[in-house]
Amino acid sequence: MIVVEHITKKFVRDVTKYKKEEFLADDDISFQAEAGEIIGILGPNGAGKTTLLRMMAGILEPTKGTITFDGMTYQDHEIEIKQQIAYLSGNTKLYDTLTPYELLKMCCDIYNVEKEKAEKRIAEVSQVLKMEAFLHNKIANLSTGQTQKVNIARCLVHDPKYYILDEATTGLDIISSQIILDFMKEERKRKKTILYSTHYMEEAENICDRVIMINKGKVIKIGTPAEIKKDTHTTNLRDAFFAMIGGVSNEE
Amino acid sequence: MKNNLWNILKKELRELFRDKKSLAMMLVIPIFIPLLVIGMSALFESQTNMSVDEYNRIGFSYTLSEVEESLAKEMDIEVVAGTEDELADAYQKGDVDLYITKNANHYVIHSNGSDTSTYAASLMETYFNAYKESLQQKYLQNNNINADEILNIITVEQQVVEEENFFANYIKNYAFLFILMAITVSATYPATDTTAGERERGTLETLLTFPIKSRDIIVGKFLGVSVSSIITGLLSLALAVVSLIITKDMFSIYEGVDVMYSASSILYAIVVIVTYSFFISGLCIAIASTAKTFKEAQSALTPLTFISLFPGMIAFMIGITTTPLLAVIPFLNFTTIFTDITAGNANVLHIVLMMLSTIIYISIVLVYIIKQYKSEKVLFAK
Repeated sequence: MIVVEHITKKFVRDVTKYKKEEFLADDDISFQAEAGEIIGILGPNGAGKTTLLRMMAGILEPTKGTITFDGMTYQDHEIEIKQQIAYLSGNTKLYDTLTPYELLKMCCDIYNVEKEKAEKRIAEVSQVLKMEAFLHNKIANLSTGQTQKVNIARCLVHDPKYYILDEATTGLDIISSQIILDFMKEERKRKKTILYSTHYMEEAENICDRVIMINKGKVIKIGTPAEIKKDTHTTNLRDAFFAMIGGVSNEE
Repeated sequence: MKNNLWNILKKELRELFRDKKSLAMMLVIPIFIPLLVIGMSALFESQTNMSVDEYNRIGFSYTLSEVEESLAKEMDIEVVAGTEDELADAYQKGDVDLYITKNANHYVIHSNGSDTSTYAASLMETYFNAYKESLQQKYLQNNNINADEILNIITVEQQVVEEENFFANYIKNYAFLFILMAITVSATYPATDTTAGERERGTLETLLTFPIKSRDIIVGKFLGVSVSSIITGLLSLALAVVSLIITKDMFSIYEGVDVMYSASSILYAIVVIVTYSFFISGLCIAIASTAKTFKEAQSALTPLTFISLFPGMIAFMIGITTTPLLAVIPFLNFTTIFTDITAGNANVLHIVLMMLSTIIYISIVLVYIIKQYKSEKVLFAK
């Protein structure tokens, strides 16, 4: 189980060449995520979704608050937590000079997957994602959809407990997006916890068990899509979001 | 988990050997060393073996006496007569190699610092010494004094104990110094690529989510860049030695000079190359990791190429030799010790001091980079 308690992240940004100012990318965010749950983190650009997920993936350190994975914190068990996590973002790029096989082999080595198990796991993942045809081609020569499959395979190969997916479908065509959505559904069946940030409200409504709506770094609503729609007297999450923020988007 | 350093190093080496630019930097730069050795040898050869026909056209603004004419003939000087203005014009056009004006017994040689002018000036110095001697002899004879006794009151003979060839030693030294420059150039590209390049390509974020300590990431990257630098350094050394052996038979400037380095000199050179490779790799990664973009990193690293060469050039020119203090000063220590090795004067204590101090510097640099790799400002700089 993931427990996020009062997470705050403060950054300093340049206002002018000589003037800097502090701002809160995330402000006092708390929630829990259970096994077999897909949690959607929703909000406009600049709402603080990426910062939140980067803190959860251990790339950024919170200014305040704690994140625990099965009772472990990054301060004490950084490597153990990262062993259990797969992080995939819209910005995640792969090593062009490697082949998918070499990349997956490297991931298995890094995640300490035993040699014999690793070969078996790579074969399994490649079969599930239909990657056999390009497993030994250089990543630089793959199409966007094929690259996305390799990215998913990278996340799957060590069989993690938690998935942190940040805008993973942004910029992808309908087929590549569907690959990711199908993958999430399959992993939910396997009792994996998935945190999924997106600004595609319809997509989140269809796939997420619960949704955390963020605006200006603050949580404005947590609940199932049905609960949120009921509470806001709306028929979809997009309208619900605008109803909560007073009809004005806050793109930063 | 224990093998994560090895996993990162494997990844770095795989990327390094598959990237055409990195390979080119690693393997092509050493080829410039033989070109440098051959080029410098040919240049010095042409200067030392310049024929007298190439600098013997001398302008005289006055009429030569019989003695002067005979001396000029004896010394193969081609006399060009004219007024001072005409000769100045001829000199500008390159029709004479220098010209001489006279006021009573005062002669003025007009020349610039070009090679032919310098050789011509040297020729005229010999000419005027001979002319002065003949005038002195004539004067003494006219006064019934034994000219030989006066003019040769003392005799001086120079015996060369060990023949040293300035040009050959100069080339040997510079061939070695350019190895350091080649290592620096070779380190800059992979260091930039593995830090600023990795961030720009978007793979750094992926790397940071792996269960690897930032210490292992940095040390793996550092060792990857070091391997590239060491390969360049050793290849450069091999090419420098081979090209010196080959050029020895091609150019007369190497006559009497032993171009072959002793086994101990080669061993010391390898130690300096490996130590310098580690040092410069660490420094390049430290500088490149603070840059926001690949371009910015490359600009920041460019001065290092010159810094790696200049202290050695200056030390060689003014004849600085390594002392225990110099042996611990970064950059200067590598170049002065290299100069000592070239001259066959390598000192083991200096080499040990250089190694120990470099280990300390590298440790400081690595701790700094590991700290940098925890800084959000560096990791997500935009």
